[in-house]
Amino acid sequence: MREYKLVVLGSGGVGKSALTVQFVQGIFVEKYDPTIEDSYRKQVEVDGQQCMLEILDTAGTEQFTAMRDLYMKNGQGFLLVYSITAQSTFNDLQDLREQILRVKDTDEVPMILVGNKCDLEDERVVGKDQGAKLAQSWDCGFVETSAKAKINVNEIFFSLVRAINKKNPDTRGGKKSGKSKSSCTLL
Amino acid sequence: MTAIKHTLQKDLFQPNEERLVAFVHVTKAGKKKRSSFLCATLSVAEGMNQTMVYQVKKAEKGEVYKKKMTRYLRDLKVVDGKDARKETADFDLHFEKVYRWTASSIGERDNFIKYIWKLSQRYLDQKPEFLNVPKKLMEESKHVEKGHTSMEGMDVTGIAEDYQALTTKEEQDLDLLMSECQVAISNAEVFAEQLSKQLSVLDGANIHSIMGSEDQVLNLMRLLDDGIQQAEKIEEKLDSYNVILQVVKDQMEVMKDKDTLINISTKNHKKLLDELEHLVVSLDLDMKFQKALADGDLSSSRGILECTEAAKELEKSVSADIHPALRKMAAVDEQQKKFAKISSNFAKRLSHHLNNFFIHQGNELGETLSRHSGDLKLPQHNSIHRDLIPYAELMLWLKNADISNFNELSKVYTQSLSKLYVREVQDFFDCAKLHLAGKGDRSKLGSVGGSFTGSKLSGSSTSLNKYIEARGRSSSVQSIDSVSLSYSSNINVAARHLFDQVLEKVFSELEPVCLAEQDFCCRFFHLVSDLRKDSGQPQEVHDSDGEIWMPLNPKITVERQINEEVRNMLGALFPTLQADIDDFISFADKLDGFNSMYLLVKMSQHVINTQDAGSFLSKTFASSLVRIKRNFDSFIEMQIKAISETKVSKKSKCGIISFVHNFEDFANLAESIFKGSDRHTDLDKGYTKLVAAIFDNIERIAVDHPKTPKEVIRMENYHHMFSVLSTLKISSLEGDKKKAKHKYQDSLTFYTQDRLGRPLEKLHVFIEGVKGYLSQGVKPEDVGYQLAFSKQELRKVIKDYTGKDVKKSLEHMYKKVEKHLSEEENLLQVVWVSMQDEFIKQYNDYEELINRCYPDAKITLEFTINDVLDFFSDIARSH
Repeated sequence: MREYKLVVLGSGGVGKSALTVQFVQGIFVEKYDPTIEDSYRKQVEVDGQQCMLEILDTAGTEQFTAMRDLYMKNGQGFLLVYSITAQSTFNDLQDLREQILRVKDTDEVPMILVGNKCDLEDERVVGKDQGAKLAQSWDCGFVETSAKAKINVNEIFFSLVRAINKKNPDTRGGKKSGKSKSSCTLL
Repeated sequence: MTAIKHTLQKDLFQPNEERLVAFVHVTKAGKKKRSSFLCATLSVAEGMNQTMVYQVKKAEKGEVYKKKMTRYLRDLKVVDGKDARKETADFDLHFEKVYRWTASSIGERDNFIKYIWKLSQRYLDQKPEFLNVPKKLMEESKHVEKGHTSMEGMDVTGIAEDYQALTTKEEQDLDLLMSECQVAISNAEVFAEQLSKQLSVLDGANIHSIMGSEDQVLNLMRLLDDGIQQAEKIEEKLDSYNVILQVVKDQMEVMKDKDTLINISTKNHKKLLDELEHLVVSLDLDMKFQKALADGDLSSSRGILECTEAAKELEKSVSADIHPALRKMAAVDEQQKKFAKISSNFAKRLSHHLNNFFIHQGNELGETLSRHSGDLKLPQHNSIHRDLIPYAELMLWLKNADISNFNELSKVYTQSLSKLYVREVQDFFDCAKLHLAGKGDRSKLGSVGGSFTGSKLSGSSTSLNKYIEARGRSSSVQSIDSVSLSYSSNINVAARHLFDQVLEKVFSELEPVCLAEQDFCCRFFHLVSDLRKDSGQPQEVHDSDGEIWMPLNPKITVERQINEEVRNMLGALFPTLQADIDDFISFADKLDGFNSMYLLVKMSQHVINTQDAGSFLSKTFASSLVRIKRNFDSFIEMQIKAISETKVSKKSKCGIISFVHNFEDFANLAESIFKGSDRHTDLDKGYTKLVAAIFDNIERIAVDHPKTPKEVIRMENYHHMFSVLSTLKISSLEGDKKKAKHKYQDSLTFYTQDRLGRPLEKLHVFIEGVKGYLSQGVKPEDVGYQLAFSKQELRKVIKDYTGKDVKKSLEHMYKKVEKHLSEEENLLQVVWVSMQDEFIKQYNDYEELINRCYPDAKITLEFTINDVLDFFSDIARSH
């Protein structure tokens, strides 16, 4: 089974942990506790392939920025999360993306732009078009989500897995599944 | 009409020797109001048969008429009367374009056209076309001619051109003339002769007078010539005056120019003077300053003060606002060179001095370091900072004056001090480790000192270490005995308390030193010049009382903005801090996993509540915190792994599995560590994982155990878990608590039922058979008629179970249950009561069934409920 190292990045309080926990355990965590670092493993099926996702939920607050380089070095795909209710969290992502590209030393890193808290339409500050525009300029996927209302939570992780697959096709698994689609793949 | 005609003739045409022949009062067709007159005239001048058509307008004010349009009649191409038969006042005149008119009356129009026709007939070679004009207008003329000409004197025939109306004066003169000559009327011939005679006389007189006036004319001519000559002379004079005036004017202009030039040059002089004065003032450096800079004493505070003042003056002079052009002046150049020399000399002197100072301080403090190594203390460097702060202003000057020297100096500072800090920090952490390891086993104190790996290899000391190793393999072999190894053993409590203390100390030592250094760097190297003013406050607080440290008193820290530079500088000053902390963390973790919990709680307090999230210390701590969190996670993982690898002794009965026991201690300890911390969530996550693992492994061990029935293992362990979770009251484990209770109750009922199947086995089988029939639909009364379940059969079965037998078998069962159950959990009574209830329930069940199926047989069991109760209480009492 192929393993995917996914890293969830973004400013503090945008809902990185809420999204991750919602995805992994199907629970919405109401209480806000700043994360230090949590890692989760979850097996999912994406496009008929079994995948083991290793999701690293990171700290968003400023003092932890020194660890980011390490996360970026180790991660294969990134969810860049902002909150649609706070413009600054959206603005912070530009630097984050540049840092990723710098650390990875390439222009193509699988990432998805995620606008969380889309259930709070009344408090919206960042327009959907703004997000779409940014994603277009980055040439990456863009989804608005709500960890609370469970909107598009699975989609962002699946999209990211697909983005990784697209960039680095799993040659080993690919060949096998190519030969006989219906048969089980050896894991 | 005639009045107008007369006026027109007199005002407009007479002067041009024209005669008004016909006129019509018209308006432009279609437009009313602007009325005008169209006049046809005949030139009276000799030899000119010029016929014209005029449009005449009356001026707006007054009785003045003006010609507005003049056309030759010969240019008239067509006269259009619009309609020959119908009478209309409209008519068109086609000249170079078509003019449409409307006459004021039909009669006037016809009259006008008639005259036009007449004039054109007589004087034009190319006659205009007359369209739609009534024929009579063009024929009638001859008839009218005679009558009209004689009557109105308006002859249009050949003679008419000579005719001129006589004025009244002429008429009078003529009358007079004729009256003088009586014969005039009677004899015209004589009269004519007389007239011609008179005429010739008059002619002669005329000629005579003309000839006589010739001299006068000549005289006049001469006079005129003279006049002209005089005028020419005057003109010449005027010209010459003019020339003179011109010259004067030129000169005046030149003078004006000169005047402005003089003004400008005065202004410029003044400006130049000002500029020079400014230049001199700004470039002048007092000798005393020069002297101070050249050889002021840099080691005394007064000398420093003087130098600072001098440096400020110098800087003012050097950075004076001088126009670039002025810099080309030799004097300025020279002065500036001099300043440069002074400044570079001073910079050299200053940096040399400070350089020595730094190195000296670094070395000196390094030597005194050994003094501290005994107790856990990170030396404060307030003295150096105090010594150096007076130079801060000079450093600012140096930064502006000679950035390369400044950078060099800060490099030297970081280098010499970082050496010191590296050693101090390392010694400090070694000391901390020593303290940790030392208290665990005093005898090993020496050997632990060097490195923690050594301490571990040496089999060390710390029973904690042994414990962790033991947990995996051996701890639970002894099952119940493992209590002795539990987390709450006295040594460990002491060790943990110690760790907490050491940790506290580490933070309280490390933080002030770092902050003091940070503040000092900011002030001394002017990294954030504008913010330093308000951060001086906390600095003093730290100075005066080192024990007050940030997280306990977060209010003290004014928000600091720490920029890259400060961070880099501190990074250079404490190059190994991160590594040392991480080293310490992993050492602590290796010592005991619970240390990670302590660290997690303490460090997160520092990191998450920090006010200056961007500072070097916060970032370093935050990175360490992530490491601690990982250690914590792996500690939990290790617990889970230990749980899943736990093996239970196969020889003895199972009882409470070690990890269930341990969880209680684990949770109690963890709770005490995390008490009041906001990182409880992390612990909750660990709990959830642990409890899930414990439940899984209870199941695993229950299934595998050869001696104790799985129900018993389940029952006892879940009961224990339930009671542990109940006393812990951890909200996040509420669900697990309920689950444990549920599982406990399930396994209890299952166990009692399973066990109770035995004492009345035959009866049980019989009753089950009856129940089987009943469920097939056999009537209760009919059961007795079945061969296998007849009354006789029932009596036979019941006979086997006398009270004595029952008691015996119950006693047997009690022994077995006692054997299964562990003393520790003390569930025997509970099980026994449960069994009693179950047995009585069964008893009642049997009675009821027998009464139903065999109503009249009067069959009862050999023993009563009271007997049963007695049996149970007797057995329980006897044991």
